Amino acid sequence: MSDTNAKITEEIRAKARELLSSGEIAAFLGFTSGSLPMTTRPFVAKRPGDADKLIWNSFCVMNLANYLPALLESLEPPRGPKDPPPAGPLPKVGVVATGCCSRNIVVQMQERQVDRSRLVILGVSSRGMVDRKKVMAAAEGREPLKVEEGGHTLKVSGRDYELEIDRWSAVRDNCLTCAHNNPVISDYLIGPVSNRDVKDRFAQIEAIEAMPANARWKWFTDEIASCIRCYACRNACPLCYCPTCFVDDSRPQWVGKSTEPADTALFHILRAFHCAGRCTDCGACESACPMGIKMRLFTRKLSKDAFNLFGAEAGLDPQAQPPLATYRPDDPEEFLIVEEKK
Amino acid sequence: MNPKGSVLVVGAGIAGVQAALDLADGGYYVHLVERRPAIGGGMSQLDKTFPTNDCSACILSPKLVECGRHLNINLLTLSELVSIDGEPGDFRAVVRQHPRYVDTGKCIACGLCAEKCPKKVKNEFNMGLSERKAAYLLYPQAVPLKYAIDSKNCIWLNKPGRCGACAKACPAGAINFDDAPKDHLLEVGAVVLAPGFSPFDPSALDFTGYGRVPNVVTSMEFERLLSPSGPCLGHMERTSDHKEPKRIAWLQCVGSRDINKACHGYCSSVCCMYAIKQAVIAKEHATGGGLSAHIFFMDMRTHGKGFEGYYNRAQTDGVVFHRSRVHSVIPGKDDNLIIRYADEHGKAAEEEFDLVVLSVGLELNRNAISLMDKLGVGFDSDGFIVTAPFAPVSTNRPGVFVCGAASEPKDIPQSVVEASAAALEAERLLAEARWSKTKTKEFPPERDVRPEPPRIGVFVCHCGINISSVVDVKAVTEYAKGLPNVVFAQDNLFTCSQDTINQMSETIRRERLNRVVVASCSPRTHEPLFQETLREAGINKYLFEMANIRDQDSWVHRDAPKMATLKAKDLVRMAVAKVRGDEPLPYNSVPVTRAALVVGAGVAGMTAALSLADQGFKVHLVERKDRLWGHARKFYRTWQGDEVRPYLEDMSRAIESHSKIELHLNTTIEDASGSVGQFKTSLSDGSLIEHGVAILAIGGESFKPRQGKWNYLYGRNPNVHTLLELDKRFIEGDQDLKGLGQAVFIHCVGSRVPERPYCSRVCCTHAIDQALKLKELNPEMDIFMLYRDIRTYGKRERLYQEARGKGIVFVRYDLEHLPEVRDEGGRLLVRAHDPVLDRYINLHPDLLVLASAVVPRDDMGRLSKLYKCAVGAEGFLLEAHMKLRPVDFATEGVYLAGLCHYPKPIDETIAQAKAAAARAAIVLSKEAVPAEGVTAQVNPAKCTGCAVCTQVCPYSAINIDPATAKAVVNVGLCKGCGACVASCRSDAASLKNLGNEQIMAAIEAATEDVVIGPEGLV
Amino acid sequence: MEDKNLQSGTNLAASPTANWEPRIVAFLCNWCSYAGADLAGVSRFQYPPNIRIIRVPCSGRVSANMILDALKAGADGVLVSGCHPGDCHYISGNLHARRRFGLLKNFLEFLGIEPGRINFSWVSASEGEQFSEVVKKVTGRVKALGPTRRLVKEIRID
Repeated sequence: MSDTNAKITEEIRAKARELLSSGEIAAFLGFTSGSLPMTTRPFVAKRPGDADKLIWNSFCVMNLANYLPALLESLEPPRGPKDPPPAGPLPKVGVVATGCCSRNIVVQMQERQVDRSRLVILGVSSRGMVDRKKVMAAAEGREPLKVEEGGHTLKVSGRDYELEIDRWSAVRDNCLTCAHNNPVISDYLIGPVSNRDVKDRFAQIEAIEAMPANARWKWFTDEIASCIRCYACRNACPLCYCPTCFVDDSRPQWVGKSTEPADTALFHILRAFHCAGRCTDCGACESACPMGIKMRLFTRKLSKDAFNLFGAEAGLDPQAQPPLATYRPDDPEEFLIVEEKK
Repeated sequence: MNPKGSVLVVGAGIAGVQAALDLADGGYYVHLVERRPAIGGGMSQLDKTFPTNDCSACILSPKLVECGRHLNINLLTLSELVSIDGEPGDFRAVVRQHPRYVDTGKCIACGLCAEKCPKKVKNEFNMGLSERKAAYLLYPQAVPLKYAIDSKNCIWLNKPGRCGACAKACPAGAINFDDAPKDHLLEVGAVVLAPGFSPFDPSALDFTGYGRVPNVVTSMEFERLLSPSGPCLGHMERTSDHKEPKRIAWLQCVGSRDINKACHGYCSSVCCMYAIKQAVIAKEHATGGGLSAHIFFMDMRTHGKGFEGYYNRAQTDGVVFHRSRVHSVIPGKDDNLIIRYADEHGKAAEEEFDLVVLSVGLELNRNAISLMDKLGVGFDSDGFIVTAPFAPVSTNRPGVFVCGAASEPKDIPQSVVEASAAALEAERLLAEARWSKTKTKEFPPERDVRPEPPRIGVFVCHCGINISSVVDVKAVTEYAKGLPNVVFAQDNLFTCSQDTINQMSETIRRERLNRVVVASCSPRTHEPLFQETLREAGINKYLFEMANIRDQDSWVHRDAPKMATLKAKDLVRMAVAKVRGDEPLPYNSVPVTRAALVVGAGVAGMTAALSLADQGFKVHLVERKDRLWGHARKFYRTWQGDEVRPYLEDMSRAIESHSKIELHLNTTIEDASGSVGQFKTSLSDGSLIEHGVAILAIGGESFKPRQGKWNYLYGRNPNVHTLLELDKRFIEGDQDLKGLGQAVFIHCVGSRVPERPYCSRVCCTHAIDQALKLKELNPEMDIFMLYRDIRTYGKRERLYQEARGKGIVFVRYDLEHLPEVRDEGGRLLVRAHDPVLDRYINLHPDLLVLASAVVPRDDMGRLSKLYKCAVGAEGFLLEAHMKLRPVDFATEGVYLAGLCHYPKPIDETIAQAKAAAARAAIVLSKEAVPAEGVTAQVNPAKCTGCAVCTQVCPYSAINIDPATAKAVVNVGLCKGCGACVASCRSDAASLKNLGNEQIMAAIEAATEDVVIGPEGLV
Repeated sequence: MEDKNLQSGTNLAASPTANWEPRIVAFLCNWCSYAGADLAGVSRFQYPPNIRIIRVPCSGRVSANMILDALKAGADGVLVSGCHPGDCHYISGNLHARRRFGLLKNFLEFLGIEPGRINFSWVSASEGEQFSEVVKKVTGRVKALGPTRRLVKEIRID
């Protein structure tokens, strides 16, 4: 663990312990180590003693905002559907949030899924999370048993090898083009803040746009060909909280449940479009995908257009209206068929 | 005296029908008297109507049916008013109903009587161009749809015992030869006269050849030749040899603008437009498109809304216009005709045609003259019922009002406006008797169809030949029978005819249908009619769908009948798929705030405010300026010669002292929300007004040509005025005017030009009246009018004749030869091209008057958006329908009047304001108005409470319930737009009967027989 | 993102169906475009008979899902038409729709759905001729593309 990560881990633990001890929060949501190298998992600390299990490293790829609404609800006193909301303040939750996670909290605030007054946010500036798959690729098939983080390197070792790679080369695609690595809202700022100047945020998208239509269709269908419809992407996404997901609904059935190419294509189109104007490009979907499908490219295209056409970026301002819930009289409409009056 | 709550309406053409409907909807019982066996009047005989080319019967039919079915309209056909006595508020009228010899209670309109009747006579509905029987139906969509026997021609009635074929054939036993006249004694509070017009009979005009030479027809005859229900079923034929004409000429002003004996001096107002329309439609009818259409005219009078554009399009589309004087029509070879005429330069010319149409004028309905005499209403010198400029629908007999072409030739929208205005006058007189004589419609209890499996009935319409000439209606009907859940399907000649409607109601009961599809025309016009039929049959009206196989199929795929039939089947299948999922919905209503907002306190606004306040309704009159009168402040006098000031002063006094009118001067509208029944408007003075209706009377402005092509030194030389600036000098009694030696008027300054391609309607009359006033002041003054077409429509033509008589010189110009104006050392020089002499003339006027355009107000857009009203292409507010809803907006509860609608003179503004008030009173007279039934609903089990729906809802009709954190819909505010549904990611929001599943069912049906290759995804 | 390379896809798609007629699903708002379609009828402006109109209250009622459902169901083309901006009977439905459609059209084309499969227009109640022109244009585009394949589920005939 790098010095920075170690310091952040300590600060998180201390703050979580303090908040839990004082009773200000009823639970703290952070990361703990996973069972495999290069994995972490979300962890809820409810007692001050649990705080020691919290960690911070470059593999905190899950988006904790995804777990917030359910955690908050679980802390409310039980009530029936007709019962009035409980009087008085409800228990609070502490949470670690990087740039994207904090933006997702903002989206959840806009969409009334979380109540800001019940959150204590420990903001952490993200250095870019590491893509496990990239490290694996660098190890060329050899199983990594241990990964040590240095300042700008990753030291990977296995049964019979040791390897040092440039950390930045293994950072997740979404982090490489992230312009909002610092938390947009927080109550306590943990660790150093670093500003990043990202050029060509949408270069990957522009490259695809430059392809001919048939090649794009081939790219899209090839990309999703391996999809097994496990919905790990959906489950990892903090934007997905409908009681009945469209993929499970039969009335109406917008998309077939099979892995026929047409069904899979429609699933990915609908899933991405549901995230239009809301996606923070946190990358949780891709990180969760067991098949390595780069579905971020789909949502990224929508983010690009929402930014270029409407000047909208998701989750920056709790007071802002999502781009698809508002309009400007002069929004672009070049896509229309125009018939001149005769 | 307690006024009576019922009104007598005489004449059931479009004007009478509109007046009857407004009165009946506004709380009065109406006796509607019609001389013919069916209502509909002249409009029912027209093929298409200008300027929208709407099928006349199609847009009229729903109103007629509504009239025929209205609980508070007592339809008395074959009837005439015999006498009337009493006083305003309490008249006794005797109406004699002539025998029909057919029992309307029994007649099923099967037509067997007419089929078996041996006696053939001329069909007057087709202007004698075809024959009918003595037992007959006036026209296919007739209301009531009941046959009649014509006693003059019936063999049995003339020689009892000699025939009786009809009685033998009638399966319903409806023939009653013993039928006798009945006199009805009716107690009514007011009378509305709408006797309509007769087309001028050109027989006496030798030069036309009419009646002597074949293939010369009147315009009304030509309407029937074009009509799909006419003598040649719309396959335009000429009368002599049934050949399709290839060259048609229209002769304008036949019987009008002609001071010779047997003719009329007035202009008939409508003929220019109907001739252009006939030419355009005839060109469309012509096979191969090779029709050559020529219109011979003196001045082209396209002075109404949308008319000038129509004229311009006709020119582009190849209709040939000859500015000319026709000398004679003489027979040529092969029954052709040669027209001899003098062109604009006075040169003689002739041209050969296959058919000549005489654009005959309008005169007061000949059958009504003796009646009007008996009623004691006065006539003017032109033979029309006399009215006054400030009381445009009042006759000289109190309590008796007039509307339509009986007081002056006019087009349909103006007749409809006057009809509503006449209704208003009756309502104002009888305000305290409102709802005292009306009945309430009781529908049978609705069967709960929810537990039943769908039993769908499909009714497929031929629409005469409108659909069936392209679509195989029988095949579509057979196809419908095979669709899932369809238990009944049949085809009908006219599904909207009263007879079919009644039969549909019976069928629904007999077959226990619980869903209905009608495949015919557009739901936008006909859905309400069929929905009411469902209610009458005891099922919920929302269990209904239409398949639009006419406007969106047969009419647009004329040359692809097979594809059109396939499409009709698809559309029926889609409608069936959709109706299958329809559920009964509640009949919502919205309580009415019984107050009106009138925006603008010019003549229109003041008139509307008083018209409503006098009936006891609270009115907020909002004016942005610090004073009343608006644009009219600048007017000197009406064309009839009445000074405007005293009238304005009277109105001011009435408004300022009226207990029901709250006047907000110096006030503008800041914001508005709500909808019919419940508007909320915030004013700049900080007050918030709650009102049930709004009337926009925001006026217009006069165009000031400060720069550019139409400047003519305006603002640069003190002797260049606009019309209103000269009026100001008249009002002030400026003595200097007497000393002027020469005055020149330039017409169409800024009107009828590319950037403003409409006619401003008022300027010709205004300018000529001013010229006459100048002549009054100084008979020696030389006056020149530089004009493009003189448009002194209707009785205003008298002014034009007078002006010519007084030596005022008229010089025509066109856009290629615009007058030039120069300042020569302070002296004006006007140079104009005289087309008759084909040379330039130089004038040195002391006064140059520019008849400049009337333009829409620049903040029109802002106000129209607040009240969700449309603005038309010309920049004026756009009414709901140019022909039949001239003062309504598509947005319910908002109405318009005055210059914001289109340029118009004061008398027409007053009529329109009264009409708007009549329409508004229909809402205000009720405690609640029906509200949208198709509203949004939220499934709480799917709702995430994300509130995107609340952000997109334009009506604040959906909110998050803080208790449940789920969205809830306020049904009273919801308009059913579906924005929430489309924005809802979790499929929680839905629209009743238009939910995603139903739309998907329609999509599925629309694409059903699409064959997909085995490749699937490529 | 219109590109010339689409031509190759055209030939590929159109070959197996000589007498093929495209099926185009149109969602028209009740107040403007449906009325414009009626006016086209009243004015007898002729247009190709491939279009199947579904009347909706407002273009704002049309979701991305509905458009995709039409493509999935086998529509060769989709047209959505509403009131001109500012004319919406429901004030802002078309303005919300405009954002949604802009994003969706770009997105589908990004994924390789042929430009021309989904089409959007504004047609007012007084634009009968414009409506017929729009239908002609859309039908022409879709005919050039050939039958829809992408997003249509393969039907196995066993």
